[in-house]
This record gives sequence, structure tokens and C-alpha cells, in this order.
Amino acid sequence: MNEIAIVGLDCRFPGAPDAEAFWDLLMRAGDGGGEVPPDRWRAVECYDPNGSPGRTNTTRGNFVHDPGVFDSDFFAVSPREAEAMDPQQRLFLQAVWRALEDAGMPPHRLADTAVGVYVGVMASEWGQLQLRDYAKVTAQTGAGSSCSMVANRVSYHLNLKGPSLAVDTACSSSLVAVHLAVNALLSGEVDHAVAGGVNLQLTPALGIFYTQAGLSAPDGRCKPFSSVADGIGRGDGVGAVVLRRLEDALADGQQVYAVIRGTAVNQDGRSNGLTAPSRWAQQEVLAAALRRAAASPGQVDFIETHGTGTVLGDMIEAKALGHVYGAGRKQPCAIGSVKGNIGHTEAAAGIAGLIKVALALHHRIVPASPFATRENHKLALRSHGLRLLKTPLRLPTGPVLAGLSSFGMGGTNAHAVLASAPSRARRRSVAGKGLDTPVVFTLSADNQTGLRRNVQAQADWLARRRHESVAPLAWSSNQVKTTLPHRFAVVARSTGELSRKLAEAAADPEEFAIRTGRPEKRHKVAFLFTGQGAQFVGMTRRLYQESALYRGYFDEADEALQPHLGQSVRNLVFAADDRIHQTGHAQPALFAVGYALARTMTGLGVEPAAVLGHSVGEFAAAVAAGVLSLDDAAQLVSARGSLMQALPAGGGMTAVRAGAEEIADLVADEPLVDIAAVNGPGATVLSGALEALERIAQALRRRGVDATPLKVSHAFHSRLMAAMLPEFSRVASAVRPRAPRIPLYSTLLGRATDTEAMDGGYWTSQVVEPVRFADAVHELVNDGLKLLIEIGPKPVLTPLVRKLRLADDLVCLHPAPGEEAGQEDLAEAVAALFLAGIDPLWTGLYGEPDRQLQRLHPYEFSTQRRYFNLPVAIPAALAPQADDRRPAARPAPDDGGGAAENGAPTPSANTDRVTHAVLTAVAETGGYEPGEIALRSRLYEDLGLDSVQVMQLKVRVETALPELSEFTVQQLLPHLTTVGALIAFLREHSTAAVPQAS
Amino acid sequence: MADANAYIAAVGTALPGAPIDNQRLADRFGIDANWIEVFIGTRTRHFALDLDSKEQQYTLADLAAQAGAKALAASGLELEDIGFIVLGTATPDALMPATVNLVADRLGLDHLPTYQLQSGCAGAVQALDLGYSLVSSGLHRNGLVLGGDVCAKILPLDQDFTTMPPSELVNFVLFGDGAGAAVITSEPVGARLALRRVLNRLTGLGREPGQTVEWFGVADLDSGRQPIREDYKAIESAVPVMAREIVWELMDELGWSEDELDYVLPPQLSGRMTERIVAHMDLPGVAEVSCVAETGNTSNALPFMQLARLLEVVEQGQKAIGVAVESSKWIKAGYALEKV
Repeated sequence: MNEIAIVGLDCRFPGAPDAEAFWDLLMRAGDGGGEVPPDRWRAVECYDPNGSPGRTNTTRGNFVHDPGVFDSDFFAVSPREAEAMDPQQRLFLQAVWRALEDAGMPPHRLADTAVGVYVGVMASEWGQLQLRDYAKVTAQTGAGSSCSMVANRVSYHLNLKGPSLAVDTACSSSLVAVHLAVNALLSGEVDHAVAGGVNLQLTPALGIFYTQAGLSAPDGRCKPFSSVADGIGRGDGVGAVVLRRLEDALADGQQVYAVIRGTAVNQDGRSNGLTAPSRWAQQEVLAAALRRAAASPGQVDFIETHGTGTVLGDMIEAKALGHVYGAGRKQPCAIGSVKGNIGHTEAAAGIAGLIKVALALHHRIVPASPFATRENHKLALRSHGLRLLKTPLRLPTGPVLAGLSSFGMGGTNAHAVLASAPSRARRRSVAGKGLDTPVVFTLSADNQTGLRRNVQAQADWLARRRHESVAPLAWSSNQVKTTLPHRFAVVARSTGELSRKLAEAAADPEEFAIRTGRPEKRHKVAFLFTGQGAQFVGMTRRLYQESALYRGYFDEADEALQPHLGQSVRNLVFAADDRIHQTGHAQPALFAVGYALARTMTGLGVEPAAVLGHSVGEFAAAVAAGVLSLDDAAQLVSARGSLMQALPAGGGMTAVRAGAEEIADLVADEPLVDIAAVNGPGATVLSGALEALERIAQALRRRGVDATPLKVSHAFHSRLMAAMLPEFSRVASAVRPRAPRIPLYSTLLGRATDTEAMDGGYWTSQVVEPVRFADAVHELVNDGLKLLIEIGPKPVLTPLVRKLRLADDLVCLHPAPGEEAGQEDLAEAVAALFLAGIDPLWTGLYGEPDRQLQRLHPYEFSTQRRYFNLPVAIPAALAPQADDRRPAARPAPDDGGGAAENGAPTPSANTDRVTHAVLTAVAETGGYEPGEIALRSRLYEDLGLDSVQVMQLKVRVETALPELSEFTVQQLLPHLTTVGALIAFLREHSTAAVPQAS
Repeated sequence: MADANAYIAAVGTALPGAPIDNQRLADRFGIDANWIEVFIGTRTRHFALDLDSKEQQYTLADLAAQAGAKALAASGLELEDIGFIVLGTATPDALMPATVNLVADRLGLDHLPTYQLQSGCAGAVQALDLGYSLVSSGLHRNGLVLGGDVCAKILPLDQDFTTMPPSELVNFVLFGDGAGAAVITSEPVGARLALRRVLNRLTGLGREPGQTVEWFGVADLDSGRQPIREDYKAIESAVPVMAREIVWELMDELGWSEDELDYVLPPQLSGRMTERIVAHMDLPGVAEVSCVAETGNTSNALPFMQLARLLEVVEQGQKAIGVAVESSKWIKAGYALEKV
């Protein structure tokens, strides 16, 4: 079937700032009408109740609140450009972002793909106002005033490569835009489409036109099919829907509001008059849409009509509807019109109707039509088989169809037939018994302030959903809310807990700081595998119970070890059994934990760029690096453990708080003692005969150096191991190592392996030679690996690394930090890694049934910046006094901490000339306040400069700094990355490069 | 009454937290575990209240919504298919809003008729009766019927249990918290359990209540009335007789013989009392479906918990009769089922 799914939507209409509020308004039959706001035009000055020439008969209408507010920083639009943009462009851009999120698709993921953008827009009032004064026409006003740009802006800012066009068929524009989008999807031209419409009343002109044509309602309200209907009340609005072919949407697990079954567009041709409605053309377009939907009129339960509330319009539409839909029905067909709630939103009227129908099919209830209780009986709706909805209509069980009309003044009519979504995936998931598995809820934003704003918004929104299961909500946040540069993550086990934690983070700066990150670059991850001594009874038991991922990999290791051990390492580890401390058991058990934990992390998308293993930890490290197969490593580690176990007792190990060279003399005196490990400049481990170790310990104590005997059964990494070497060498020689897939930092070599193979010889030497951990980890960090994850049953190596103080920006993490560590700790580790810049594979944290997309509260844009230099002078005869044409004063930029935090030198006496000139020039070019420009601000991405502005910037800089030697644009371009880079470039070209006070 | 036109399509149940065994009660309250085992016969139960913190972890709305969601999921029906909701309970979370409406909210149901029946142990059957009527009358195609109770409000835990007489003590070991739900349909779908007959009859004219649970508001908090009273002697002697009469009345009306009946779902007062009732029914060859020993007396949730167990074993063509007796004002309640 040719079915198109409405998978996401967003809107803003009079009295309804978002889709939830819109539905609420509809269900309580509310209205968004009011007086003309003073920032539009001075209504009283063009008002005449009698509607004399050049006047309107009303001071009222239907307006959205504060349409000048725009989060220009979010879209990297410079204030100068934002000021010049038709607010219709800004409103639609924000609506599309939110609609895509609502569809479960982060807009970034659609970048560079053929997504079509189709928008209905007819009002060019902004352009008319901006382009009238030729002297004020700038490079920005052209693009800012064009209707096509409403669509093209979206394509530009979201990098969408499908068709992008504005449709003007007057009041049917947005439904015609939807029709084009549907056809593009059905023809295969695009796989995703955004369709919608926008309408903003900026001048009284159209109101005067309606008044003069006798179509304007004196109270500014549409009263569709009502006996008190007396004309049109104009309305603002913006709406966007995300459309996909139904089969694609279902395959991707997207939720579907409703399905578009068929659409049709026609023209009434040479009818009674250019602007007169035609019953015959309306009937034809209704019938055509039904044909395309393969539906009969009797199947349709309700129709959202064009219903403007003009006497003639209502009459003609009722007759056309009755003719097509009314005949031969058992029950009259329900009708209504959203125009009674929000006025006639003109180019956005079709999308308002579409969103109303989609929400009605989604909620399975059709809102009542305002003014319906005073039905116009002259229309004889009943006899036409129609009934005006005086109260909400609960839709019957099973599939339901609905019709939707939108007619243009010039005779371009559109009709759509919609159906309820397939009945799966609409059920809420009620939280089960007790707490769910811990999951990670994520958010992202363009800056810290935005992040906090969205954390608070989600906290409020989720508080109302606290009885729903948290896992699908968190899963959805991972899919949709992770792509912006500033990141937030929190672990929760229920929606109530999540909402609480979000609210706490929004309110408490310390809490907020812990849960946020702004990864500047992608960290390279290294896995550090823990060695012997870290084992304990029941290690990772809880993780094994709670994480299916870990359990699966642990069982893999168990299976590989079983033939060599003759028993299950799982039983050994998870039983309350002290035998775990025997070398023959401890080594394979640690290997199983290391292998399983490493695979768990890679299963969660955390791929190491390098590995390092401490002593016996090298076996799991070698598997992770692709050097050894699981089976080979299992065989080796089992043999190693059991051969060591079989050695006679009498050996031991002692940890010394001193460097190897400091104690070299004492070791040299003892033929049965060796240095076993160098873990740091003050952390050495000796190994050998017990009496000899004790002699050294006493000598050290005399020198004031701590020496602590370790609880081990044998003298590992010493010559006392020699007796096991022949047999181990025989086993090890059968192993066929491969070259490491990623660098392996060998603790035998104290560096990354080079060309040497990790063959039998290597593993045999590894038994007796010292562990050069400090050298190996030093080189690893020097090679740029800064995100170190310890892989073992408890933290041992990460504390050692911290003591080495190798780098300031080192991040050390442990996915199982405590003895009772489980899924919650794993989730915390994933959250921390996400904040550090890793993009986890979230699937590993969720069971199959929880991986279902749920709608979340859409992105909450900043309301800090306002660009609305209206009212612009009304034509002379009507004009009030000229108003301040400058944009409203802008508060400080919406960036966490502002300039100081970003290292911006506020232009002042001690700032050098070049810096000052550049900051001023960039600010002027972009229309920013100088204090808003930071040295690390990126000229294109953050400040939104374009090529024209680059030229302006060059001229401004050259004028301000006449001492500059000449340079070309081509020379300049490579340096236009950040403001700081530009300053550095200009300094090189400055003949007065020495900083001086300005 | 030959052809039923109401069916149970699915059942869902919800119990709060982990089961509390008698040893746990003994440890917590100093009640002799052996006494519970011997005289009450209930082995485990679940409480909405955390026994240590004394905090209420679950409300009736929580449990009923969970049970309803499970039943709905098992039925294969969608939210929009549900035409009405009925909840039977003796212990609503609040007098207003009625708990049934909070359950609707949690399930995402709106714009439909809801009913809450204030009732003791017969509430679940009364809810089934109303659901049966709404569907078999043709008024609705499908509906959700719920029953449940949470006794956190009426069983204060900060008392000295060691000096409490058995007649009072029994309340603390008899009851458990829980909720159950069934999806009632006009067509045989899902579990396809035809609801052949529902019996719901007051028989208490002039009889003293066998059980009384008071409720208190701000004005009479300190009235000193005993919150819970039970006439155990009356219950012990009357309930087995009433239960047997209910079974036979249903069988007579449907023309079923004793041999045709496969299962009986008897009243679930306590493990011991249920044994006595079943013995008195004297239906050899009819399998008993009981749950009280594991769930405790969950009052209006019990029939759904029995139904959930029945669904695991019942086969096509088999017949079952469920019985509930409300000893407060002596209400006979029962229902007859046949798997089609």
C-alpha cells in the first residue's frame, strides 16, 4: 500500500507553544485569540468598526507569543544575519529540529542525505518591510526576506540534500506542500521528508484586504459552520511533520502518529471568479483523494474541514462534503475545524489541520469544534449526512479513517485521507515490579546553559511520566539526544528516580558538573589488564548476575578454560571458595574476568586503541590485541598457573617503597632474589627465597624504607620459577601468535612490541623476567593514550598510574570498581565514557524489549535572544511615530560562563592592538557584542560567518590595523578557523607586532 | 443463558516486592512461625509496606496498573480497544480521586466509562459481573476488569505483637497485598474463557456483619472505634455452607453435572480455612485451584490470581466454577467458566 507515516511533529500556534499544549488547547476547546500585540502594528490606528477604505474592522486576531525569540547561537547564525532573517524562517527552522527529534531521529544523522523539505508559506510581509528602504538593503536582507529560504535554510543548516522548496497556493499552501512530500516519498525520490507551513502576521495589510472584501470577523475569530459565523480571524502558526514510507518507519521501530493514505490537489479553473470557492472543484478533490486512498466515503469517521467561518465558504464546503461523504451513511460524518481555536493560519492552515487530525488519530479522540453548539441550521448539516462535533468524539475500536481539507483563495484545493497508525507500539510501558535495570539517560546541547535548560525541561516532563518504565525512555535518549557538543549523562533505575536526579543536577552546579562533559576531541582508549593478587572470592559475581553481556562472555571464557582446568572456572569464582587464591586457580580466573570484561566494554562500543597487561594480565591483553586466540590463551594461562602451583613452596614476594636502582646493591648480594616488578619510581617488588627476602627487608628497614611481604604462594618472576620452564616452554611453543591488531604495550619489554613475536619464547621469559609496568605505561601515555580503563576485578593498576603523574589530562576508569559492582557500575562507566567523548553502543545496556523508541520532550531552545525590529512604519497615512528600528537589546549570550570561561580577553587597556581590532571587527561583522567573542570561537561553526562576511571582516581588520602588510584572501582563508588563529595570522603580518596598550 | 457472549481474553496479576515468609514475620513481629503454619496455613505473602522502614512502596494504583498492563499485553488487544474499566476494592488509595481513574491514567486510558466498586472479598466477582453485563449487553466490545487491595492503611506495624490476642493477631498474618486484572471481550480471543454465568447476591438481611473495617477522617480520628472486627465463629460456620450453595446454584442454572466440572476456584480466606471449605464442597474428581498459601489473602485480587493459575492448566472444553464469599454483609458471589 502507498502509505506514508507521520513519525514526528512539532508546532506552535496561538495559545499553544508546542504540540502538547496544542492538543490540550484543542481538547478543552480553547482559543488563542487576543488583541494585536503592540510589537506587530498599532491596531487602533488602522481600525474602523465600519471597515472604511484602508482600515480593518477588528483590533483582534490570533497571534503566537514572542515570535522574535530565536536561538541563533544554536544554529550558528550571527546576530546580524538573524536580525535580517524573516522570523518565519527562524520559527520553521526550530520547529523542524524538534519534529525530527520527535521522530526519534537526531538531525545530525540525516546530514548529507536526500531529505526533502517542503514548506507552505505565502506571507512576504517581512520582505515587503525590509526591502522598502533601499539604503538599508544589505547582503543579509536579500536571503532574509525570500520565501524560498524558509525551506532552503532548513536544508542548509541541517545539511539536507533532497528537494527544498516553498509552496505558495495561498491558504492551501501547507497541505499542498505535504502532498508534494508524499508524492516524493512514494516515487522514491526521497526516503525522508519534512513538510509544513508557517505564517506570521507582521502588517495589517491582509486584514484590511479581508475587511474590504467583507470577509473579516469583527471579533477576530473564525466560527466555522456556526450561526454566529461572520468571517475570518487571521492566525499565526508554524507546524512541521516528518514523513516516511510506512514500511520504512515500522522497520526502524519508529512510533507513528497516523498514516497518510491518499492526497489530491486540483484547481477550480475558470470558476465564478478568481477567488470564489467552487463546490464542484471541492467535490472532485475529495473524490480524488479517496480514490488514491482506495477508501470509500462511508469508512471515514471524521473530517477536519477547511471551515473558515465565512457564510458563503461554509455553505459551499458543507454541500461539497455532503455530496461526497454524506450520502448513504448510517451515522452522519463528524466534522470540525481547528480555525475555531486558532484562527485562519493561512499558509499554515493545512499543517494545523494535519497535526490536529494526526493527534486525534493518535489519541483516538476527535476534539470538539468551537462554536459548534451554535450550529448554523441553515447549512442543514444533518441532511447532508454531516454532524458538527459539539463534544469530543471517542473513535471506535480498530482502523479509523479521517479526511482533511485545505482550500486556496485562488482555487488550488487540497484534500487528504488519513488513517490511524497500525496498532502496535502505541502502548505505554508501565513500570514493572520494583526497580528496572540501571540505564543511562543522556542529553546534549550546544552549550552548558542549554544543557541545564534541557535537563530541567526533561526533569519536569519525566515527572509526569514517573510510572512509565525507564529503560525505553533512556534508550530513546541515547538514540536521539547525544549528538550535540555538550553532553550530560545520568544513571537511573526508575523514571521517578531519573526525574529526581535530573532536577537535582539542574539545581546544583556541583552535581551538574559531575554529570556533564564537553569532549574536545576523541580520546584514545587503552585497556589495562590487572595481574595476580586482585582476585577475591566471588569477584564480579553481581555483574555476572545482572549483565547479560558480561555473563555471555564470561561463559565463553569458562568454556575455553574447562578442557585445560578440568573444572568450571565459573563455579570456582562464584562459589564461596578460598581455592580461588591458589595460583593454579587464580590465574585462569583472572583471565576469565579480564577476557569477559574487555569483551563487555568492546560490546558497549568502547574499542581500545592499545592494550597493556600486568604480568598474567598479558594473556587477556594479547587476546584483545588479536595476538592470541581465546583457546590458545586459555591453554597457556591454565598451564602457567598449574605448573607454578606445582612448584615447591618456600618462595615469596616483597613490595618495597623504593626505586629498583636504590635497592640494586641489596639484590645483587642475594643470589636467590630478583626484581619481579617495577611499578613506579618508588614501587618495586622483589621475589625469591623467603629468608633472603627477609634479610633484604631488614636492611631496608634500617635505611628507613618500607618493605611489605605479599601474600603469595610462590616467588613469581624470579629464578625460583626455573623448574617449570621446560614444560611450560613445551606447551607455549605450540602457540602460533599473530601480529597485534592494535599496539600492545608489553610489561616484559617495558614498551610496545615491535617486530618481535609473542611466541613461546616470549611467554616463557615472561615467567621469570621482571614486570616493567612503569616503563610500559609511561610509553603508552606518552604515545597519546589518555583514557585508561582498567580491566580486572578491582582497581589495582589505575591507582598505580595516578601515582606516576604521567599527564594532567589523564582519565582513569574502572567498570567494576567495588566488590559488589554490578550493572549499575557498568552503566556509570558507560556514562563517564560518553561524557569523555566515546560514542557507546548503547544496545549492550538494554534487553531487547526495552529497545523501543519513545517520544521524549523535544529540544528546549534558548529564549535569550530576540530579533524583532517591529513595528516597522505603517504607510504614511496610517503611520504612528517611527519606532526604534534597532533590535531589542540583547542580554548576555547564552553560553555557559560567557567570555571569561572561554578565555576571551575582554577588550581593555592591556589587550594588544591586533587582538582588540580582530575582536571588534568580528563582533561588528557578525553583529555580536565584543564580549561575546572568545579566542576559541570558530568563525564558521560558532559565529556563523559566511564568505561575504569574510570579505567584510578583512576590510574591517585592514582599516583598523593600517600597519598590516598586505595579504590576500587566499592567504587569509586557511587561518579562519578560530578567532585566536586569525589573530596569530595577523600578528605575523603586523609590522608593529610588539604588543602595546591600545 | 445457553450461549455466553462474554469472554476472558487474558489475566494479569501484580504482587508487591519479594515474598515474606512466616520466619520473616516471626523475626519482625515476634509472632510464632509455627502458629501461623498450623492455624492459618499461609506460607508467604507480599506487602506494599516495607517491613523495616515502614514506608509504603506501592499504592493500589501502582499494582492495579501493573496487573492491567500485563492483562492487556497478554490479550493482544490495544488500549483503544478497551471500552470501560471496573475496579473492585475494599481499600482504595484515597476516597477521591477514585483509584480506578488513577489506574486509567497510568495505562493511558481516557474518555471512557470507569467504575469503582467498594466491596470486600466479593468485589472482584462484582467487577466481573459488571464487565459481563457491559459486554454481553452489546454496549461495549471489550473492557478491563480489575480487583485489588493494599492493607498498608489498616494494619499499623508499630505495635507490640507479643501481647496481642490471636483474634487480632490473625489480621497481620492472614492478609497480603496485590492486584489482578482480566480483559473481558465479546468475541473469543486470547485465552478464550467463556464467562457462562456470574452470581452476585446479597444474603445478609438482618444478619450482623461478619467482618467490619472502619474508615476514619479528620473529624473522627480519635473516636476510639476498633478499626477491624471479625466474627470468626460466624465466618467459620457460614462460609463453607454458602460456598457449597454457590457452586450448586451455578451448576443447576447451567445444567452442568458434577462429572462435567473440571476445576473449582474456592474462596481463599486462609490456607486452613480454604481446606475446610473445599472439604465441605465434597466434589471428588474436581481439581482445586488455590493460591492463598503463597499469596496470602489478597481479597479482591484473589479471583484473578486463581484465574491466572487456571489459565496455565485449563484445556479446551473444560469447565470451572469460581466462588467468593464476602462475610461482611454476607454476599454470595461466583462465576462459571468454559474454555472454548
